[in-house]
Amino acid sequence: MNEAAAAWLLGGALLIAAACAAAWLRRARQAERLQAETRRRLEHLQREFERFAPPDLVERLTGGRGDIAPQRRQVTMLFADLRGFTALCDQLDPALTVTILNDYFTHMSEAIGRHHGHITELVGDGLLALFGALESNPWQCRDAVLAALDMRAALAAYNSQLGAKSLPQLQFGIGIHSGEVIVGVMGAGELNKFTVTGDPINVASRVEGLTRDLGVDLLITDEIRKALTAGFRLRPMPPARVKGKQEPIQTYHVESNNA
Amino acid sequence: MAQLLNEIQWGEPLLAPDMDPAWEAELKRRGGNVSEVDRRIAPSPWIREACLGINTGRACAISAHLFNVAALVTSQENACRYCYGANRSYMKMLGYPESYIRRIEQDVHLAELDEKERALVAFCRNLARSRPRPARAELDELVRHGYTREAAHEIALWIALGCFYNRVSTLIASPPELGFEGWVVAKGRWFALMGPLNRFLAARRRRGAPDPAATAAALGAGAYGPVLAPLAGLPGATIMKGALDGAFASTVLSRGTKALMFAIVARSLDCRPSEAEARRLLAADGFSGADIEQSLASLESARVPAIEARLLPWVRDTVHFQTAQIQGRTRELAAALGNAATLEAIGVAALANATVRLAMLVE
Repeated sequence: MNEAAAAWLLGGALLIAAACAAAWLRRARQAERLQAETRRRLEHLQREFERFAPPDLVERLTGGRGDIAPQRRQVTMLFADLRGFTALCDQLDPALTVTILNDYFTHMSEAIGRHHGHITELVGDGLLALFGALESNPWQCRDAVLAALDMRAALAAYNSQLGAKSLPQLQFGIGIHSGEVIVGVMGAGELNKFTVTGDPINVASRVEGLTRDLGVDLLITDEIRKALTAGFRLRPMPPARVKGKQEPIQTYHVESNNA
Repeated sequence: MAQLLNEIQWGEPLLAPDMDPAWEAELKRRGGNVSEVDRRIAPSPWIREACLGINTGRACAISAHLFNVAALVTSQENACRYCYGANRSYMKMLGYPESYIRRIEQDVHLAELDEKERALVAFCRNLARSRPRPARAELDELVRHGYTREAAHEIALWIALGCFYNRVSTLIASPPELGFEGWVVAKGRWFALMGPLNRFLAARRRRGAPDPAATAAALGAGAYGPVLAPLAGLPGATIMKGALDGAFASTVLSRGTKALMFAIVARSLDCRPSEAEARRLLAADGFSGADIEQSLASLESARVPAIEARLLPWVRDTVHFQTAQIQGRTRELAAALGNAATLEAIGVAALANATVRLAMLVE
């Protein structure tokens, strides 16, 4: 082989090697871009997911940790329901109704979050918040009552804003009860949620219903009262019968916390 | 998920700089830099000593690389803007590529790190977060991934010390080291070039020999001795021991208040040995079993000075927190307690969080 042919051969080989290297580099860059994009999407998904479930729960689900298996736990449940909101919906513009409701939920959610609780359900204008459902919380009863008092203050502040805009005032009723329930991810098919089930949740719901009958905004059961200190000003209410319970339930109206 | 640097909401500093010139000279003599945190914690002898120990401390069983990764992840997980920014910049100064740092910052399961590094990152996150509470099994998991038992203990110790420093910086809302961060960005290419040399020098500074003074007997004496005793030989163990001895010897807050703060953090994290140790300290201080139970159940106590009783519900909120929220609550506390007592309370809360996290692994 003469020198010219060898040079051509070497040149050709170098060209092919350069082309292969360029192709490999292009692929590597593509793979890197794809990886970065996938990572960005997953991050986005996780953050979006946190709008629908407590961040701790999302972390556990996405982290693949097997610690959300159903279990029995002592949990404190807080039910809150807006009074007369359905009638209000008929009078207001739908967009304004949704804005008011969303603002209300935002204020309530902040108050609940400040006291170690999280909202697990929103049904119409009602909400269910849990304390001690995701992890053990020895102060869950106190937390729930403090959250309710914070919710009361937040609602008063929000009503001032509504009043300034000549919009109707909101009123709520809150019922709090504590007991052993089953916690876990429940649902069917594509609709699942982290929630609780058991008799205590029915009691909490009934106690919230009693606020209407007794004309107060915040009621707790005896189980909650036992966990509170003297700093909380409570007013005993007449024992009341509720659906599903043979004995009347003793409730207390929480007036304030002077601690 | 853990926040990234620019996502952390950070308030105005809680304390103004209050540097003691003698301490500044001592700090420089012992190889420390005078940081924004140092300027604010100088009035407390035991807190400043512990922070200097952490900044200049050495490790004998883990590499400087693991040390740096653990510090970054712990500060990110604790959402400490100050420490996270400083650790990130420090790693850039050591020539770590941005892509590598990003991989660590992002969710551990997405990161293309090797299995051993992944185990370390997961361990750091779990211990710093403690939600759900970690247990001894997680330490065993590190050993299963090829770390020695001594290295696993040292990693846990430095995460705990990181949790202490992160909480001190967060609760005083120390201004970030923007000068340092900006300087590292400006000299980015230089550091990329000089990274290996910087890393070599930094590794030498962090590398230490086992500490013969840190015997199990020496560490085991005093408050929370049983937590420290298994860390015998580790140079960092004496930092923790010094902080615990200093905190309980200090007279700024009553001993009962401090022990109650430890007990509340222990109960919050459901760590029974830590709560038992706090009960022992409280009993030695004259608290009856009923007093202790009542205080723990209600987060109130008539046995401690009224002004200090405010610390009981607050310390519970230092276990898991939203940065902006806890800084706001600490500010309210400072308005009532004054700077000296607030700084002391911050140190005790940070130390209780560090100690109980460590205790969960050795119980």
